[in-house]
Amino acid sequence: MAGLRKRFRWVALALVALAVGVATLFPAQAAAALKLPLLAVYSVSRMVAAYLLALVFAVAYGTTAATNKRAAVVMLPLLDVLQSIPILGFFPAALVFFVSTFQGSPVGLEVAVVFLIFTSMAWNMAFGVYESLSTIPHDLEDAAASFGVRDWLRFRRLALPAVVPKLVYNSILSWTNGWFFLVASEVFTAYGATYARPGLGAFIADAGQAGDYASILIGIGALAAVVLALDTFVWRPLSVWAERFKVEAVPGREVPHAPGLYQRLQWLPRFPRMRAWLGARTRPILDKYDRASARLDRVYKGHATAMRAVRRLDLVLFLAVFVLVVGAGLLGLAGLFLRPLPPGAADIPAATALSFARLGLAYVLALAWTIPVAAWIGRSERASRFLTPALEVFASIPATALLPLILGFSIAVASGVGHEAGLAALLIALFSMQWYLLFNLVAGVRGIPGDLEEAARSFGLRGLTYWRRVLLPAMVPSLLTGSITAWGAGWNALIVSEYLPFHGRLYEVEGIGALMDRATFGVPPAMQPNAELLFLSIVAMIVVVLLMNKLLWHPLFRRASMRFRMEA
Amino acid sequence: MVDPPPLLDVRDVSRSHFENGKEFKVLERVKFELAERDFACIVGPSGCGKSTLLRIIVGLDNPTSGEVLFEGAPITPENPQVAMVFQSFALFPWLTVQQNVEIGLEARRVPPGERRTVATEFIEAVGLTGFENAFPRELSGGMKQRVGIARALAIEPVLLCMDEPFSSLDALTAQSLRDEILQLWSDPALPPRAVLMVTHSIEEAVYLADRVLVLCHRPGKLVAELEIDLPRPRNRKEPEFYGWVDEIYGLIV
Repeated sequence: MAGLRKRFRWVALALVALAVGVATLFPAQAAAALKLPLLAVYSVSRMVAAYLLALVFAVAYGTTAATNKRAAVVMLPLLDVLQSIPILGFFPAALVFFVSTFQGSPVGLEVAVVFLIFTSMAWNMAFGVYESLSTIPHDLEDAAASFGVRDWLRFRRLALPAVVPKLVYNSILSWTNGWFFLVASEVFTAYGATYARPGLGAFIADAGQAGDYASILIGIGALAAVVLALDTFVWRPLSVWAERFKVEAVPGREVPHAPGLYQRLQWLPRFPRMRAWLGARTRPILDKYDRASARLDRVYKGHATAMRAVRRLDLVLFLAVFVLVVGAGLLGLAGLFLRPLPPGAADIPAATALSFARLGLAYVLALAWTIPVAAWIGRSERASRFLTPALEVFASIPATALLPLILGFSIAVASGVGHEAGLAALLIALFSMQWYLLFNLVAGVRGIPGDLEEAARSFGLRGLTYWRRVLLPAMVPSLLTGSITAWGAGWNALIVSEYLPFHGRLYEVEGIGALMDRATFGVPPAMQPNAELLFLSIVAMIVVVLLMNKLLWHPLFRRASMRFRMEA
Repeated sequence: MVDPPPLLDVRDVSRSHFENGKEFKVLERVKFELAERDFACIVGPSGCGKSTLLRIIVGLDNPTSGEVLFEGAPITPENPQVAMVFQSFALFPWLTVQQNVEIGLEARRVPPGERRTVATEFIEAVGLTGFENAFPRELSGGMKQRVGIARALAIEPVLLCMDEPFSSLDALTAQSLRDEILQLWSDPALPPRAVLMVTHSIEEAVYLADRVLVLCHRPGKLVAELEIDLPRPRNRKEPEFYGWVDEIYGLIV
């Protein structure tokens, strides 16, 4: 532990030295950086608000879908569609809606930003809740039923704990998504007006517009520090805690010790006496809570018919709203297609294909480096110790925050051949996709059981044979999981990556993302926003994403989980 | 004078699965009764519907036809008089030993203080004192099943149902747990008043039970009901013991 403390001290010293260095080299930016903590508080508050909303939504939606088979028939496909909606495409419309609802007050902007982040967080969490609830082992459900554990007690003792591991895991993913959109949404241009709310994302975007690289770096550093701090002090401990709630798949298997920073934090004071005191204080409260929940349970039971009626009414209302919304949407769509297509609609297929090709190239590039690196990190304790922290720092920076840097780099490298916008779009796609692949693949390699490794070694499997027979098959399921997430992130990045206002100039490439941006902002010289074109583009993108999920990823995933699962 | 209804009355229970419109009979007209102080074992080859029968008896599953009466009334899953021990233990992995044992009492809204006392008593009865705050994953298989038994006994059931409770354990642990069950059973102060256990091990059935119900294969039908009148403790090496085992073996094959 002493050694670790020393290392922490070195890291702290290095950070202070860096800060002092930056402050003396760039005094002007250092002054601006003083307000970073406050900006960080603003940004984090938005994230927390959106997360709490997403949490409530996810638990309600997931529970309903898992417990009500009839509702699930519509709820699951709906979630699939929601998940594949290019969120940023809707943002201008939502922004205008909220701003006008709140009559131009900043509250409207805040609500719009929180709403955007919410939409990037909620869907995968809802899926997580649904999946964990529908995979509760049958014998546990039987045990609960046979001991009369029902209603509220069942929720507390069975459903909620069963949901915890996946919910924590998906929350971490949601926060990664959330940061991406937070940075994109704090400064937003829609219909000719620029809306901005103070925050870390706005700080970076402003610096980018001014071409002030020192400030860009400071902003990115601050953002990375915030993301890493939350990871260390919130998500790691939560993941370790969530281990407790995992249902053992294989009886008698050792529970892996939670790795990483949480263990390294063991030198932190534990306050045993304070905790005992708190425990003694809270026990009466907990008992009271127990009794209260028992009473709630009785109410549930006493009014069983009433509760059933409420639930049925609930379902009817839900279905009614669903039919209304979907019907209105379909009618709108039909109207859209019946009218003469807006100018530019003919470009949609070609633009979609171009964007698809760009994402495909970024995906191949990401695979090319993540597979070997994941194999290395996953199998070498030393490589993992040195590389994982560095990679985590990089991965903590959302691609949207790197935008100015990537563009600056692209201009420096490729403006000679006139491909700076293309290179930037490719790099942003790469940065949005690669981390999902890398970290999933590392987990896949780590998941190879020790005895399988030993068997491979004892039979002398080496080199190419080892890769072909052990490593690559073991990576397949995690590769597919990572690919689905990575492509989702890639599609979402298109809107910010293909159309880049920077330092007073516009860098754009042909693609569905750029098409949406132009439909939103209007194309010079007419500068008329074209809502119909925007909606058609969004529909096109949803269709492509859904098709890809249904025809490519899901079948592959099903086959892979039959063949390559690590269970005998 | 009318006789009091039997403790458990299984009346012509049949159960079928339907697949693509075809009927697969799992159980056919199973009929038996259990009285006070009965220790009965249902024996049969794997897949003969023993577990389905037990699930129907505790009310977790419904028969296609027939009915199960407990003390004269139809059974419901939350009947507090019947407790279940599972082959896979089915402990809540996120609850401590103490909380697991308390769960049935919690469902019956026993106040927390009383719950704690009762649970502690049964944790002691199965010899797990000192492990109250351990989580299931920290326990060996045998200890987990002890928690399962304590959890079932804690609700002080009239009828204890056990679904292959020793099949996931190694032979030595299983034998010592069998003896413990018999010891708990021999103490009339402790619940339950009757035990119904499902097993595929004929030896286990002969070792434990007063009555053995033999279920045959596809569809599951009751082919014999035997009274094992050997004195306890029973010795597996005695010829009488083997006589019973061979007889049941002959009935199944």
